[in-house]
Amino acid sequence: MQAPTQQNAFEKVVEFVDERVGLKTIQAKMLNEPVPGGSRWAYAFGSVLLFIFILQVVTGILLMFYYVPSTDHAYASTQYIIHEVDYGWFLLSYHFWGSSAMVVMVFAHMSQVFLWGAYKKPRELIWLVGLALFGIVMGFGFTGYLLPWDQRAYWATVVGVEIMDKTPLVGDFIARFLKGGPTPGQMTLSRFFVIHVMVLPAALAGLAGLHIFLFRKAGPAGPFRGTPEEIKAKTDYFFPRQVWKDIIAMATVFLIICSLAFIEPVVLLEQATPDPGDYHPEPEWYFLFLFQLLRLKIFGGEFGQFLGAMAIPGAFMAFLAALPFLDTSPERNIFKRPVALIGWTVIMIFILVFTVSAIINREFLD
Amino acid sequence: MSNTKLGLLIFWPTFWTGFPIKLVVVLLLLAAHMHPWEGSGLFFLLLVSIPVDIWALGLCARTVFIDRLKIDPQPGLGPKLWIRWAIFSAVALPVIKIVVSAVTETAKSVVASIIESIKEHIYPTLPVAEQISLELVMWGSVATVALIVCLLGWLYGLGWLAQPFVRNAKPVHGTRDDQVKFWDGLRIPADQPLLLTVFTGTGVVLVFIFWGLMPATTPHPHDEYEYTFEKKEAGIVEPKKVLKETEQVLAKAELVVKKLQEEKGESSEKTLEKNKASMKPKQEDNK
Amino acid sequence: MQPKLTAKAVCTDKEVGKISKVIVDPLSHEISHVVIREWNGEGTERQVPIGQVQEMVNEEEVILRCSSEDFARFPLLERSQYVGIKEVEIAHLEDHLHVEPGEILVPLPRLEQGVPRRTFFTNMTHAIGTLIALPLIFPVLKYLMKPMYKPYDNAWFPVGNIKKINKENIGFQFKFTRGFKEAFMPEQQIEKNIWVVKATPEVQKAVYGGSDRRFFDDKGEVIWVNKSNSPFIGYSGKCPHLGCGYKWRKTKNFPDGVFLCPCHLSIYDEAGKVIDGPAPRPLDVLPMQIDAGGEIKIIDVEYKAGVNNQVRLL
Repeated sequence: MQAPTQQNAFEKVVEFVDERVGLKTIQAKMLNEPVPGGSRWAYAFGSVLLFIFILQVVTGILLMFYYVPSTDHAYASTQYIIHEVDYGWFLLSYHFWGSSAMVVMVFAHMSQVFLWGAYKKPRELIWLVGLALFGIVMGFGFTGYLLPWDQRAYWATVVGVEIMDKTPLVGDFIARFLKGGPTPGQMTLSRFFVIHVMVLPAALAGLAGLHIFLFRKAGPAGPFRGTPEEIKAKTDYFFPRQVWKDIIAMATVFLIICSLAFIEPVVLLEQATPDPGDYHPEPEWYFLFLFQLLRLKIFGGEFGQFLGAMAIPGAFMAFLAALPFLDTSPERNIFKRPVALIGWTVIMIFILVFTVSAIINREFLD
Repeated sequence: MSNTKLGLLIFWPTFWTGFPIKLVVVLLLLAAHMHPWEGSGLFFLLLVSIPVDIWALGLCARTVFIDRLKIDPQPGLGPKLWIRWAIFSAVALPVIKIVVSAVTETAKSVVASIIESIKEHIYPTLPVAEQISLELVMWGSVATVALIVCLLGWLYGLGWLAQPFVRNAKPVHGTRDDQVKFWDGLRIPADQPLLLTVFTGTGVVLVFIFWGLMPATTPHPHDEYEYTFEKKEAGIVEPKKVLKETEQVLAKAELVVKKLQEEKGESSEKTLEKNKASMKPKQEDNK
Repeated sequence: MQPKLTAKAVCTDKEVGKISKVIVDPLSHEISHVVIREWNGEGTERQVPIGQVQEMVNEEEVILRCSSEDFARFPLLERSQYVGIKEVEIAHLEDHLHVEPGEILVPLPRLEQGVPRRTFFTNMTHAIGTLIALPLIFPVLKYLMKPMYKPYDNAWFPVGNIKKINKENIGFQFKFTRGFKEAFMPEQQIEKNIWVVKATPEVQKAVYGGSDRRFFDDKGEVIWVNKSNSPFIGYSGKCPHLGCGYKWRKTKNFPDGVFLCPCHLSIYDEAGKVIDGPAPRPLDVLPMQIDAGGEIKIIDVEYKAGVNNQVRLL
């Protein structure tokens, strides 16, 4: 035992808590997790997502100090934040770009897990919880977008909810639930606000905790290449090595988001009106590929819209959920899984092509 | 090891090592209302990049040599290799840009004419969305292939320039464990507290500079926003209003004058003078 | 010392078996019994109270007080009456128990051996973490503080005409409405009131003490001066104790009238001085001007309630 007289006040407090809570044991268990094959930059995306989420919560709470979720004041209060509150423009722009960064990181994280085959046994549950988290992140983007109540926000939401209306059987119920009525208005804003600010954060925090717990239970999958000796030689602990890589990645993402906030601060359009006027409704950039897909003629008409908006994306998500149970081969090396590699590449190219097409399409509309 | 693979193995970590440091510089430039992609901002960014890149290249190249090739290069790898890479890239990258742009433009126009002929002869009612995606895939794939080929050529050049250093390097001895410990140990500074203090101190100073530079209100205000405090006293709007009002008053006066001129010939002049005299105080009131 | 599992158990006359289990009291965390598995063929286990253990020679051997005959009379272990500690959560049990034959170890990775490496990455991680959080502190604080210190509003408001005042040294109430705009909210009209007294020279002296009263803006510039001989004195309608609205009332003790605050019964005379009650300072005098037609105008100044000095809020 160390000589108690040498301890300073801080150490005494730590000792006090540790005796009662087992703090040092908890800390050791959390931090001394061996990462087989060594810490990797590719493993950082999950931690970066957590970091982005925490900052979104912080900036979101700060925004709530001034934002008012009523149709009378939503626009004016957002403009007030941007123009008059000190650094309000920066915090709002950080929150906005942070949400885009989160979507990018979600894609990166999911791709990394997929390519490393880390969804296979015994990690199927982690993958499923991860898909739920993905849905929640998309929900965040969709609900948050409405809150400034400008033309862009209002019409993106109208279009989005109309798409959900196309779901068979429950579509009308879902659309009315989200809109809080037959048409969008104050009820919609209130519901989107509560969902964005209370429901989704709680769900995300809970599921993220479960995701991390399951991950620790199963242990990191590690690299898909290398002999056991090579992997053992390079093994290090989560702390400090992986944490170090994580924090560099977090710092880089933080700097990128801050830079984007300076380069393109949030500028609102005019206040929402029931008449779109010259404005062409568009969803957030990460939904653009779906938006463009629905412009194709094969998805015209009621059945076509259902097919393009609900059936195909739904089938794809269902396929992803079933993936660990369909792909039972233990092979994790991506270069030995040609179907997986080609499939992933095709999906990425598909999303890229349709996103860029949507952007090109804007000129055709003017 | 092939040139292309060597080039990529060294370039990739070097780029990402320097990236966060350059980002700090970019952010400070942005806070100071400068654009890092043009003008003096770009110049400053490139200037700062030079020592950062030299350091990163030295560290990462040596790591790759030790970890993958099991050799330890001669000292001074960073600056020597950087000079060669810089000169080569200064020539190669603009060439690549020209080539890829030319290929893309050609592809775009070729594809456009293909689509035109399809619309004329085969499928006149090709819808807009399909057309856009089809065109994009057609010229996009050509441009992507061209870009990839060019980049591979560039990486080949980088690797080729690194090969002499590979030949001059000494082999690394020891077991796998020892090798891993060796390159890992390169990252630990001899005097830790000094480095940490300098690093943290520099960071804090930069943060203070950042706070001083960044604007408190948005650099892109909305055109029609009305500030609640008197930021713009009687701003831009009022002179126009004043002019309009004055115009209206003058126009009305002219009508009155014309009417009176028609009705009474001589007395109209007096009325005109009266109207002008009464208009002047009004103008002063409005301002 | 505590007995080790698998240690040999020796009675007074001979060795009888080895310790296979220990039984611990879950409340006191102390060993109550040892369970000894006999060397005989069946390997029967007997429960022996810890008191029977005379001494522990070393980790391999314990000596019991009893003879082997007495030992054979100890009750057999009824395993079904106990649970292992892996099946039940008893807090801090392991802190007191040291009976394992050995610990279960895992190798420390090679890269983690070597304190300098660990500490370098640890410290750099902390440094970078701090540097990420740091840039936000100043903007966030200023962001939150924006509406806290607003500049003073020094606009003049007309409240009424002095014709209404027909007696000296009596309080007269004047009500007025003013616009109030908060940030992005639409402008609201709120009603306020002040009390005006037409003062005799004694009252003027009591209020001003012979010198002019200056009023300042937030930069310290004088914006208005109330002359010490001005006949009309206006008081803010808020009681300096806790901000209630007070009234001019005639009471039994003060038949000519006093300012009386109904909330905590502060009493002020016509010069605003505190006669009785918890008020910390006299009534607050307002900047006031009266134009040629007798219209009273005041600057709507509010001071912080409950403090001895005047601290301007609005």
